[in-house]
Amino acid sequence: MSLLLDVVTTAGVLFAVAMGLLVVFGVLKIINFAHGALLTLGAYAALVTTKLGISAWLAWPLAFVSGGALGLVVERLIVRPLYARPLDAILATWGLGIVISQVITLCFGREVQFARSPLSGTIAILGDTYSVYRLALLGVSVALGLLFAALIEGTRLGLSARAVIMNEDLARGLGIDTQRVRLLTFMIGCGLAALAGALITPLSSVDPNMGVPWLINAFMLVMVAGASFLSLALASLILGGAQVIVSTFVSPILGGMTIVLLAAVVLRLRPAGFGRD
Amino acid sequence: MGGALVVAAGPFILDTYSVTILIRGFLYALVALTVDILWGYTGILTFGQAAYFGIGAYAAALIFTHVGFEPATILLAVGLALAIPALAGLVVGWLSFYPGSTPLYASVISLAFPIVVTQVIFSGGTFSGSSSGLVGYEVFDLSIEAWFWIVGAVLLLAAGAAYTFVKSEMALLLVAIRDNETRCAYLGIDAPRVKILLTVALAAVAGFAGFGYANFSGVVAPEIAGFVFGTVLVIYVALGGRGTLIGPLIGTVLIDAASSYLSGDLPYIWQLIVGLVFIVVIVALPKGFTPLLGRLWYAFSGQHDRQRRAAPALESQSMQPALTTATLEIVGVSKSFGSLKVLEDITLSIVDGELVSLVGPNGAGKTTLMRCISDGRERSSGTVRVNGQDIEGLPPNRVARFGLGRKFQTAGVFESLTVAECLRIAGTLRDKPSPRHPLHVLRLPEAARAVVETTGLVDSLLRQARLLSHGQKQALELAMVLALEPKIVLLDEPTAGLTSLERRQIGDILKELASRHRLAVILVEHDLDFVREISSRVVVLHQGRIVLDGAVEEVVGSKLIRDIYAGSGHG
Repeated sequence: MSLLLDVVTTAGVLFAVAMGLLVVFGVLKIINFAHGALLTLGAYAALVTTKLGISAWLAWPLAFVSGGALGLVVERLIVRPLYARPLDAILATWGLGIVISQVITLCFGREVQFARSPLSGTIAILGDTYSVYRLALLGVSVALGLLFAALIEGTRLGLSARAVIMNEDLARGLGIDTQRVRLLTFMIGCGLAALAGALITPLSSVDPNMGVPWLINAFMLVMVAGASFLSLALASLILGGAQVIVSTFVSPILGGMTIVLLAAVVLRLRPAGFGRD
Repeated sequence: MGGALVVAAGPFILDTYSVTILIRGFLYALVALTVDILWGYTGILTFGQAAYFGIGAYAAALIFTHVGFEPATILLAVGLALAIPALAGLVVGWLSFYPGSTPLYASVISLAFPIVVTQVIFSGGTFSGSSSGLVGYEVFDLSIEAWFWIVGAVLLLAAGAAYTFVKSEMALLLVAIRDNETRCAYLGIDAPRVKILLTVALAAVAGFAGFGYANFSGVVAPEIAGFVFGTVLVIYVALGGRGTLIGPLIGTVLIDAASSYLSGDLPYIWQLIVGLVFIVVIVALPKGFTPLLGRLWYAFSGQHDRQRRAAPALESQSMQPALTTATLEIVGVSKSFGSLKVLEDITLSIVDGELVSLVGPNGAGKTTLMRCISDGRERSSGTVRVNGQDIEGLPPNRVARFGLGRKFQTAGVFESLTVAECLRIAGTLRDKPSPRHPLHVLRLPEAARAVVETTGLVDSLLRQARLLSHGQKQALELAMVLALEPKIVLLDEPTAGLTSLERRQIGDILKELASRHRLAVILVEHDLDFVREISSRVVVLHQGRIVLDGAVEEVVGSKLIRDIYAGSGHG
């Protein structure tokens, strides 16, 4: 039973962590390799709330806003010239990631720290006790997924974003301000990345390089998922589930590379991944 | 020359600490050269070279730790440090490159690979030293000066070999694949295979550098095989200047040395600076610092940026005596997308000397038919035999080998190569590009040479293909297809967008191809006057079926043709 809970809550964490990357990749067709550093940023937002002694719940909005604000600057200065050079965009955002984590190191030191959790304790569920926070996180992930799926399906920004995905020139010709759509999309993607960082801090410690392993898993999941929230959820569930099973029954070290390996093989056999062709 | 001087004099001028750092920098530079050939020249952004380096290092360290250090085991260690990375390169290459694979996917694999290697090292427990690595194994007892000279010499040799390679015909092939892999496939080139072989060779080089590292440093740790080190190599190459060899080499040595000195005094600031400079270079200076310094140098010294090169000598390739006559047999070919039938039961047979025009309104299935003839995986049913060979399930590069050339509607040329280089690469199938010699002599079959001469391309042999006019590009692609020495040529609207003079030239050439060179020529064409002028036979396609097939006058003059083109033939 607790294995099943592990699988779904792990999938929830992975989904939350990958969502920002998916938004950026889906609309802008570039990979934001600063995603890991943005997660770290969000985690330090949580640490700040702990240090200031204010409510740990405030970490979430604080992370989202600071990630989005950083995204505003970064899109203008770094990402905008690189839409036509997607491989270079990977590199430039990786450089940005280095810069962010070094600045964080300069401000907060390189040691491992801990942020307070807004929820603690365990809950009895079907005869097992399980972490309340992990369960709450699953709920938050699902809610965020539904919220942003609704945003894409139901709002004018979402419609414009989809138009930009399908045919950018035509979208521009129809009077859509594609530059603004891109800016907002990138900001949302960065905000979500930082929010995910704040969400995962109660589960892990905080240090300046904590984002990198998350980045890799998120990246592989997004490659497999393509551009849809639903296939990302599916990918998180299947690959995250495989990770939990391998870690539990074989070895945690092999579990660490399960997602990467499976994603690579899935893409080789089916280049469209879990998305439609 | 300067490099040799630095390597020779280094130990006399520098203190031991600097020499030690430079030796390590040389080893990294050796790997950076492989990154530059893959990324700078071939367009494959890779984070994986670190993993091959790590595998080579661990192969040596494991043998010396667990088996011993004596001549036989040293030989074994060298062998394994080359063979295991090469084998891993084969797997990675097979995963990364297949028909239709994207550059992004290759980068994904190159990212996944070092992560897998690191995890494998971690899971090896005390055998591989896990996270703390291996240390204290026996290594060569050499003075630090000797190390400097040996590693420096190896690096210079490797740089020389790499320089020769990137100036060779083979490097042109890599650029051609980067520019237009589809065009390569239709010229009979197995691009994925070329890239896999390149990956294998460069994996072995990186593995060898790793062997040197394990011996020199006396310690190996999982980080040297990791993805982060892979990105560091890419950063060195980017800052030095991708696609220049010398830039990545010097960049790696200098930045690595600077990192060693400065990370002590300014630990985080230095990383911060490297990150910032890296961003600026990628965004604003994609070619890195080398071209910038080059320009400054020329501005001060007053020399010209580029020496004038001589055009390669044009030679005629003696025609292979035709063993078989050209035949194209299409029997009952259909193609459907779901329930939509685009081609239905097409049966057609064409022999050498014929110039067949395929006409019909838009959406009649003309281009689809061309695709079904040139790619064995396209049609839904039926048989296509090219010069007697069934193309069942074969990719375009295999079909091209049966003697079939295809020219596309939008001219596919290799944009960053010159005209002469495009033509050279087009002849890859009959004359393998040399990995050592630059392009000096351009051997062209008579038909291709005729195109080059009549269209005036012969005067632009040194011009980059992307600078050509639309008409010149069309002519170049036609010449490239003919350089393949095909027996059957498919041409998709070869005269679209051409001036009337160019159109007449192409028409004359096509007639020559059929009558004098005895090729079987099939062309898709809309202009009925042009068709009437040059064809020996006309096939009319309408709604996926052949509705007429006969001599020019009877078809072009028929009522059906008028009806179809007037638009009343539907339904």
